[in-house]
Amino acid sequence: MATSAARPVSWTEIRLWRAGLLAAFLLLWEVATRRAWVDPFFVSQPTVLATQIADWIRTGFIFRHLLVTMQETIIGFLLGTVLGVAVGFCFAHWEKLAHIFDPLMVALNAMPRVVLAPLFILWFGLGLLSKVVMVISLVFFVVFFSTYTGIREVDRDLVNNARLLGAGPRHLIRHVLLPSALTWIFASLRTSVGFALIGAVVGEYLGSHEGMGYVISYAESMFNATGVLAGLLVLMAAVIAIDLGLKRLDARFSYWKPVAK
Amino acid sequence: MPTGAIVLEQVTHRFSLPRENREFTAVERVSFDVRGGEFVSIVGPSGCGKSTLLALVAGLVPVSEGRISLDGRPVAGVDPRLGFVFQRDALFPWKTVAQNVGLPLLFRGVAAEVARPRVADWIARIGLRGFERYHPHQLSGGMRKRVALAMTMVYEPEIVLMDEPFGALDVQTRNLMENDLLEIWSQFRRTVVFVTHDLEEAIALSDRIVVMTASPGRVKSIYTISLPRPRSVTEIRFHPDFGRLYETIWKDLKDEVRLGYERSQTGLLD
Repeated sequence: MATSAARPVSWTEIRLWRAGLLAAFLLLWEVATRRAWVDPFFVSQPTVLATQIADWIRTGFIFRHLLVTMQETIIGFLLGTVLGVAVGFCFAHWEKLAHIFDPLMVALNAMPRVVLAPLFILWFGLGLLSKVVMVISLVFFVVFFSTYTGIREVDRDLVNNARLLGAGPRHLIRHVLLPSALTWIFASLRTSVGFALIGAVVGEYLGSHEGMGYVISYAESMFNATGVLAGLLVLMAAVIAIDLGLKRLDARFSYWKPVAK
Repeated sequence: MPTGAIVLEQVTHRFSLPRENREFTAVERVSFDVRGGEFVSIVGPSGCGKSTLLALVAGLVPVSEGRISLDGRPVAGVDPRLGFVFQRDALFPWKTVAQNVGLPLLFRGVAAEVARPRVADWIARIGLRGFERYHPHQLSGGMRKRVALAMTMVYEPEIVLMDEPFGALDVQTRNLMENDLLEIWSQFRRTVVFVTHDLEEAIALSDRIVVMTASPGRVKSIYTISLPRPRSVTEIRFHPDFGRLYETIWKDLKDEVRLGYERSQTGLLD
């Protein structure tokens, strides 16, 4: 029957389902490892994981490493975004530039950045810089391409109208091009934040002495599945928190858009 | 001396169709003039180049041959003496009603304390007091059109070009808007060039009507509409001369509409 479309979604019900499924999964995991259906050496155990994370929080161990990772992510993300917007803007503005560099951009973007990480570490050392470069290399392209499309897709009537209303080049940028590109840039920001964190963690994982990537890599080398999984859980929580923040920010900047049904 | 006069002399606009490797003539040897303060409509079948003609006068599109001058000065690029109301409303969606209406003044460097009362005045004039802080997506089609009109009139351009401005509105809203336009026009007496495919609308509003041929657009004939003013677009239709004018002009237009339609069917256009 096609009547389900008319019935409003009950969010309480959906939340209950979500919580129930999560609880069932954790319970199954716990029971399976306690009864030795699965070896906890490989998959750890929810209660052990919880103790581990609580321990990390109590000793402050995790905050030190999380802070390092966040620092690399945020610095790299900001620089990558600024660069991406600036270059995207220039390319959209000077078409010749775009034509000349188009193959280069496509080629660079096609390169798997994860494989470049060891080179970055070789060039920029084990510290912050190599991770920031890694993050920039991931974030830049996402932001660049969406800024470029955003500005090129600006409504021609709107640009013409602004010109007829007396807008100079600066007015056009400030009142027409940037606001309409902002929609595209924001749509890409949530993707690029995920990329930024991946960049930082992969960089740490391959060579560093601090940060979440290092924590995970160290636990792995000790065959400590609990350490690896706990590290991943902490990262997951961080990404969710950032994503929620960005959603709020996006809503603030999109006040003028009709609410999607 | 009245300002806002437009002269078109042998105006031709061609553009190339690279895929078909040929040139397309949108407008061919168009000549007519519009006196300052006059309300002139351009009617013609769809695809006859009437919108292109308007874009040429506005300086949005370059003239291939011939010349267009405003008050004796040739058009070269976008001209600040002009106002343009687009077919689709080209409001800035991220700005409020008041910000939209004030934008041309901001662009033209009018001081904020001078601009504010003028913006308020125009918002009141179009009946949108209380909606200053609304964004375009929160308004109806008719309200958005009013904002577009206020945005154009707020800097008091000498010439207002309108490209099928009310085409997307329902009939009732449309008649209200047409009456408002006539009232504003009679108060300010700016030159208006109004493109429409609706002959009734053209007769009800204009002093003169330019009939265009099917593509390539040429001037077929020009009619003077001497119906009494002030007019109400809903009532002027019952004037005894209205039907006669309609019949005469329609006879002229009919063949072109059919021709335009047949061509669009055989794919000669696009």
